[in-house]
Amino acid sequence: MNGLKPSTRAKIGVWVRTVLVNLVAIVMAIPLYYIIINSFKSSMDMAVSPFGLPGEWSFDNYVDAFANLPIARSFLNSIIVTGVAVFFQLFIGSLAAYGMILRKSWFTAGVGAVLMIAFCIPLQATLIPQYRIEASLGLVNTLQGLILLYLVNSIFCYFLIVGYMRKLPMEVIEAARIDGAGPFRIYYTIVLPMCTPILATVVVFQTLSTWNDFLQPNVFLSSTDNRTIILQVFNSMSQFTTNWPAFMTITVIALVPVFIFFIFCQKWIVSGLVAGSVKG
Amino acid sequence: MPSQAREPKSRHSSTEGTPWFKTRGFAESASSTGFLVPILAVFIVLTLIPLIQTVYYSFTDYTGLNPNVNFVGLANYNKVFTDPSLLVGLGFTVLFAVATTLITTVLAIPLAVLLNTKFYGRSFARSLFFFLGVPSLIVLGMVWSFILSPLKTGAVNTVLVNLGLDSVPWLSDSTLARVCVIFVAIWAAVGWHATLYLAYLQAIPADLYEQAAVDGATGLQKFVHITLPQLIPGIVVSTFLLITNGLKVYDLPFGMTKGGPGYSTNTITQAIIVHGISQSQYGLGSALAVLFTLSCLIIVLGQTLITSALSRRFA
Repeated sequence: MNGLKPSTRAKIGVWVRTVLVNLVAIVMAIPLYYIIINSFKSSMDMAVSPFGLPGEWSFDNYVDAFANLPIARSFLNSIIVTGVAVFFQLFIGSLAAYGMILRKSWFTAGVGAVLMIAFCIPLQATLIPQYRIEASLGLVNTLQGLILLYLVNSIFCYFLIVGYMRKLPMEVIEAARIDGAGPFRIYYTIVLPMCTPILATVVVFQTLSTWNDFLQPNVFLSSTDNRTIILQVFNSMSQFTTNWPAFMTITVIALVPVFIFFIFCQKWIVSGLVAGSVKG
Repeated sequence: MPSQAREPKSRHSSTEGTPWFKTRGFAESASSTGFLVPILAVFIVLTLIPLIQTVYYSFTDYTGLNPNVNFVGLANYNKVFTDPSLLVGLGFTVLFAVATTLITTVLAIPLAVLLNTKFYGRSFARSLFFFLGVPSLIVLGMVWSFILSPLKTGAVNTVLVNLGLDSVPWLSDSTLARVCVIFVAIWAAVGWHATLYLAYLQAIPADLYEQAAVDGATGLQKFVHITLPQLIPGIVVSTFLLITNGLKVYDLPFGMTKGGPGYSTNTITQAIIVHGISQSQYGLGSALAVLFTLSCLIIVLGQTLITSALSRRFA
């Protein structure tokens, strides 16, 4: 390559990278291809050629999946749990962040330290008593019980939001105060709108992690009607031990909303990834 | 909620002569406290009380079946370190955390560097690698259990047999199953962490590379002397996420193997759930949970120390 002009070398570099990276990307995507392609096959067809195109494209698996499983119900459960949980996480977290920036005292300093410690405690440490408490209150196998558990993530939301709120210009809050606005009104009409970028990031990030959660639905939900879509996919596996295409079909159905969400919110997932890097 | 409207004075005005509870300080303090009440309630109900109970259970023989609760000292902790099934789970969790952290980091940095250069299909490739980290790991794990099924009808085995090779017992052999679970974890995580590194790469000032080019630095020299040092904050963050998520792992091995064959891909979290909830051995499950929490806290502390040492060194 030494005899080549630098511009030619750069062009060759671009093509080498184009082939290399796209090749690796395509190889990495084979499992996604595998899921989609097999949802259109019969069991027989899938067993004979797992990676080949279907001999005959068939939508029977999709028809069967919607007929045999309460898919709409599971989606609804996931939407309710994720929507309500993320709303309250955001509300509690942003309220706490506002309380912290409003005033510095020994009390807020103490709360800050306590939340920092709480932030480092893994879910596993509290899981068994949480189960016992919810069982005694009749909250096991209810969506409310699951939502209640997810509120613990308000502490994570608080950490993301408070970092952003501390950088807000305090003069604006001070001016509103002089104009006679009460603390809650300042929070609602001034501070929250100014925090929109971080709130969007928190919503996108928490939506994804709540929607994808398997551990807590698996431990706390038992009846078919209460299952989230992820739990429904998991349970369908034992149902379809011999019918692999049926499992691939329900997987595709479960992944489509995640894929659409990803397409529209990729930007905020990245910012959440960078901002959420503090998560322990 | 007390209003401050009654005294529209400047912030530093004297409050002499007004009763203490009517001063702005009190009003602000009260409202500030009010805003913190919900999060404190969440903390007390969902973290503090359960945490105290976990520690308490871990020293008892509480099973839920027997109403009499007896203190048994460290017996549960003893059991953790003598039960082979738990030790295997502990060993696999540590192996998983360390292996995924090291290998993902080693692969994600060069991938991020590549994704940061010019080539055709760049935004497609970036999105695709990133997307693999987005779906739920239990679902991806189950899909991979079909791909790597040890049966002759498993996807990879079908290809091997068609090529005239023998089928491989991917998920039914202890060692192979572990390798496969770690491989899939890296497959899912590498693009996600490359995206994280990409954000840090894009923040490196271009003039550093221009100066190096003037000095005649080769590509490798630029990578070692500019890119890597500039990526240190990103490496700290990424490895921290990998190691803590690795220790907390549950979904992926459970989806792929349910912890098998035997206990070879069992994880601590799975053991806590099985013993502490499914089998109602609250004492044993809680002892596991306490040990697990302590090791997580030690890692957080160690990571904080390393981070501050590194930022002093490179600041």
